[in-house]
Amino acid sequence: MAKKSVWSDNRFWQRTAAWITGFASILLIWLTFDTNAQIAMGNDSDLKNGVTKRVPGPTVINYKITYEMDKKRQHEVPVIGEKEKFFGRDDYSEEEATELLHLGKLGSQSKNCMNCHTLLGNGAYYAPDLTKAWLDPAWGPTGSMQAMTGKSTKEEAMAEFLQNPSQYPTHARMMPNLGITAEEAKGLVAFLKHMSSIDTNGFPRNFGKIQGAVNGK
Amino acid sequence: MANSYLTSESKKLATWYFTVAATLFGAQLLFGLVAAIQYVIPGFLFEILDFSVARMLHINALVVWMVFAMFGAVYWLLPDETGIETVGIEVGKLLFWIFTAAVTVVVLVYLFIQVGPADATSIWFIHEGREYIEAPRWADIGITVVALGFVANLFLTGMKGKRSGIVTVLMADMIAFAGLYLTGMFYTDNISVDQFWWWWVIHLWVEATWEVYVGSIAAYGLITMIGAHRQVVEMWLWIEVTMLFGSGILGLGHHYFWIGTPEYWWEIGALFSALEPLPLVAMFIHVLYDWGKMQGEESAKGLDRSVITNKPAFTWFVLNAFGNFLGAGIWGFFHTLPQVNLYTHGTQFTSAHGHLAFFGAYATILIGMMYIAVQGKNGIKVLNNSTSTIFATSMIVGGVVGMTVALTVAGYSDVIISRAQMGATWAGYFDAQATTWLTQGMVWRLIMGVVTFVGFFFLAKDLLTIGKSNIHVR
Amino acid sequence: MNAMFEPFVDVVPSFFGTLAQGPLTLTIFLHTVIVLPMFWIYKQEKARLEQEGN
Repeated sequence: MAKKSVWSDNRFWQRTAAWITGFASILLIWLTFDTNAQIAMGNDSDLKNGVTKRVPGPTVINYKITYEMDKKRQHEVPVIGEKEKFFGRDDYSEEEATELLHLGKLGSQSKNCMNCHTLLGNGAYYAPDLTKAWLDPAWGPTGSMQAMTGKSTKEEAMAEFLQNPSQYPTHARMMPNLGITAEEAKGLVAFLKHMSSIDTNGFPRNFGKIQGAVNGK
Repeated sequence: MANSYLTSESKKLATWYFTVAATLFGAQLLFGLVAAIQYVIPGFLFEILDFSVARMLHINALVVWMVFAMFGAVYWLLPDETGIETVGIEVGKLLFWIFTAAVTVVVLVYLFIQVGPADATSIWFIHEGREYIEAPRWADIGITVVALGFVANLFLTGMKGKRSGIVTVLMADMIAFAGLYLTGMFYTDNISVDQFWWWWVIHLWVEATWEVYVGSIAAYGLITMIGAHRQVVEMWLWIEVTMLFGSGILGLGHHYFWIGTPEYWWEIGALFSALEPLPLVAMFIHVLYDWGKMQGEESAKGLDRSVITNKPAFTWFVLNAFGNFLGAGIWGFFHTLPQVNLYTHGTQFTSAHGHLAFFGAYATILIGMMYIAVQGKNGIKVLNNSTSTIFATSMIVGGVVGMTVALTVAGYSDVIISRAQMGATWAGYFDAQATTWLTQGMVWRLIMGVVTFVGFFFLAKDLLTIGKSNIHVR
Repeated sequence: MNAMFEPFVDVVPSFFGTLAQGPLTLTIFLHTVIVLPMFWIYKQEKARLEQEGN
């Protein structure tokens, strides 16, 4: 009898395909439950008790956020520090902060931010990444963007720019006016501040640490 | 449909789907061109048709024309594979009109309303602002209904008629394809959760279910165009499914490196996605091997003629085999490992990969299916290349490869200067944008985009007229 | 030995995080559990082919 090899047998490959597809899907579903538990948003008491969450609660806007090297994990992580005023207040309640973040996240979608910028590195590459925009030196006290708007705080400068982007010539590629209201701008800045507090496993690397020294310019 | 040789209603419906798909392909290229011009001349259509709107139209037209062509291709091959007329074809036709009308409304709203206030009405009626799946909520629901109707037709036909290996794979694949869309339909304030599920749709479409779909279509094409043996073709198909789903499903992890998800995804994403090119190599070998084998059998009989019964379509199928491997495989592998992706994530490098991968893996084979439909509709035994075919193919392929190379070069600046050297700040971003590599890269991308666009007109002309030409064997 | 076993580094301990003991441990484990049952499928199919051959 001529023996047929299993390797050229359709049924063997059909069963293998079914096994691998099924098992990989089950693993993915299991991993999804595990991950979703870890990326669920924290709350105000986590922040007050110093519980580290990958995605902190909305009241993180009441605190100062920095991006520092973690020796154990060997990359930078967001660090939530002391209280910091956000539009003149550092006592936003859970409800107020949640509402502000909700407005900002809705705004980020309805204004189509993602089709020019990247958020957490995803989106378009026509404008800067917004993942850690809140921590960007350009928007800080000595930064060019804050100076340009004539405002005295980062959040006011960002809100002013978002409302009238085409009045501020930042680059030949300008941001268009998207009809963002004062309230929406406040929400968007809260959304950006919250996003900068998300633990992105060290992305982007060396953010804001290195300035200048570019060859060929 | 005068002068049509088609007797199958399913195939007639397929030609409708292909017509809309080709039109939307043109729209995709047009808005891509607008966006490409804006990179070179930033003031172009500023506050009239901004980059965000042009790009949204560019990538949405892309996704939608491919879905249209994918539905069309299934309606085309079903009667051949199952031996019966598609069940529920009248419902299928109705769904086609609903789908087309919905897409038209969505495009007009994108074009003329563009942005709305930061509330739920924008999400429901304008767009959801989530790259690739921007369609507003009402359209999401409509698309789900249409997709479920399509899957129902496929299942009912597959269960009633002869169920080949190809149809079996398509049935399993298309239900996953439709089901996955549901995971991208809800709203959340948590951007990490948002992007987690968003990738379920995007990745599990283009790096799993769509790839398996392409495997099935390639199998059908090999059987119909060069007379490859079904048993061999279907064995390869099962091997491809094994490797595509084996690497592609958990390969999803390469999108979970930096969006807030745990560090263990570095490992899962790295190795599973590193294996993703393997099935694409297999598909490439498979197509060329079968071609050589069938031609060899013909030569052994002493017959000096080509085994290919549809030259333009087969060209596109071979381009698919190679383009899938090059665009999705090589260009994807370039930046799939976390140590590389830390710097390439969200740069023009990604854009280079996106262009060649979508084109190589999907556009090519779907254009091939359009030529198969032209052949069938005109009752042609052997469809030969016309001059337009040659111009269309070389200009579109040359244009897309040119754009990819230009974007890759631009990507070097983005990666090295903006990310590695300057730590990804706004200042770093704009420094990278000002470099010669990036600015010249964008000019070359525009030039190559124009080449592609001109090639599209040759393609459109060819698809409309080649069937009437007398260069074919009837 | 100490260098071969790393303390848990991620933020939240979890089953998968624990399997990630260092470079590639988790992914090699997952690949192994996916591939191993193929031997069983192979043996079954081989037995079936031999029976059909008789």
